[in-house]
Amino acid sequence: MRRLGYWVREAVTNIRVNQTTTFIAVVTTAFTLVCFGVFLLLYLNLRGAVSSLQDDIKVIVYLHDDLPAQGLADLQRRLSGEPEAADLAYVSKDKALADFRAQFPSEQGLLQGLGENPLPASFEMTLTPRYRSVDAVKRWTDRLKAVPGVAQVQYSRDWIDNLATMIGYVELASVAVGMLLAAASVTIIANTIRLTLYARREEIEIMRLIGATGAFIKIPYLLEGAVLGALGAMLALALLKGGFEFMTLHLGLPSRVLGLAPKLGFFPFQMSVWLVVAGLFLGTVGSLISWVGLERSRT
Amino acid sequence: MIQLFHVWKHYAKRPALSDITLQVEKGEFVLLMGPSGAGKTTLLKLLFCAERADDGQILIQGKNVARIKPSGVPYLRRTMGFVFQDFRLLQKKTVFDNVALPLLVQGLSSFDIRRKASEALKAVGLEHRKESRPAMLSAGEQQRACIARAIVNSPLILLADEPTGNMDPDLAADIMDLFKTINARGTTLVIATHNRQVVEQVNRRVVTLAEGRLASDVGARQ
Repeated sequence: MRRLGYWVREAVTNIRVNQTTTFIAVVTTAFTLVCFGVFLLLYLNLRGAVSSLQDDIKVIVYLHDDLPAQGLADLQRRLSGEPEAADLAYVSKDKALADFRAQFPSEQGLLQGLGENPLPASFEMTLTPRYRSVDAVKRWTDRLKAVPGVAQVQYSRDWIDNLATMIGYVELASVAVGMLLAAASVTIIANTIRLTLYARREEIEIMRLIGATGAFIKIPYLLEGAVLGALGAMLALALLKGGFEFMTLHLGLPSRVLGLAPKLGFFPFQMSVWLVVAGLFLGTVGSLISWVGLERSRT
Repeated sequence: MIQLFHVWKHYAKRPALSDITLQVEKGEFVLLMGPSGAGKTTLLKLLFCAERADDGQILIQGKNVARIKPSGVPYLRRTMGFVFQDFRLLQKKTVFDNVALPLLVQGLSSFDIRRKASEALKAVGLEHRKESRPAMLSAGEQQRACIARAIVNSPLILLADEPTGNMDPDLAADIMDLFKTINARGTTLVIATHNRQVVEQVNRRVVTLAEGRLASDVGARQ
């Protein structure tokens, strides 16, 4: 317990004594984490948007006009039993025509020349949550096309596929940028700790001479790195939150993005905590790297 | 307690110690004499595991130091005390904290740390300066603080490198008296010095090094 107190005191002293370098390290770490945070926010919101669009995916199964009543009943029973189908609604030929007329009153002339109703009857189905991914929908619709009585299967595939592809790119970019910026944060913190180690190298040598183990000497510096990383992450979160609020309130950005204003959001609390933990981890790694450098310079 | 067998140490291919064979018994007080560059500090560094011998064997308390892994060195050092010519006290800490540090790294309880550090400070006559920073102390007081830190964990061996190097004769005599008291309690002492006055005053076994070789090994005058 006394040792723990000593380690914490030493870490606090290091931070207090090296205020300028500490400030620079925290601010620089914060800015690198802000860049990463922007990508992460973009990725999370786009993923949220795709997920919400996927919730709205409707699969429309168009039926052959010559399907007898018994066949229609069998097909309805079969489709209702599919695990992918959450909800199923039958749209008769007449209802399809009425819907068309209601939606496109100016285009009614198109249908008049055809005589009989050209629109097919259909089933409109929504998906159960676990089958809302693009791949699952595609597999299911491919299967449905082979069912007797089904003329065509349709869903808003292109749009969702494109968005999913874009999400994939953003995800890749986030990972790449994240790794690059994580390395930058580690380097910044490593250099800050290296300055401290250099300033206190004689003290460290004395500690070794009186029988202190490497771990005992190292821990205050690891704590210092962890604190710098965590403070950098907290500052980054504050900056990101400020930027996000500014954009939503003053620029009205979300309302312009996909019309998804209510769906866009900042990091949930749990993720914010994880970001601080990530900063703490990066800081510790940075500190550890400067120690390895010090050990190498001794040998 | 300390045994060296045909020990060699080179720096940049030049021998700093050549074929040293030496034994120091438990409770002995040995003065290591010789001019600057004779190899006194190198010998102490080998005993303290700050350096490794290039050849030969060194046994400390029966342990071959060549076989001690780097991770084991701190534990060997905890059985020894070391006094430096330049004191090597932590300037940001009080005298008490400096003296308490070896106990802290060993994980002793607060009660034991307070008790032992106070005893060590009392033994060197520095109890009244325990809250002072090293910079506020005289050279003699700083060396006493350094000695208190070296003896605080009751080491079996105490090594000192020119502990009176920068002191006037009276102060040097005081410090040597302190070492004699410590030796009288059973601690084995090896003290490197080039000060003949100190040697005369102490009147103990004198091992002389010259150009890295053992030049003489003379016991105390009767």
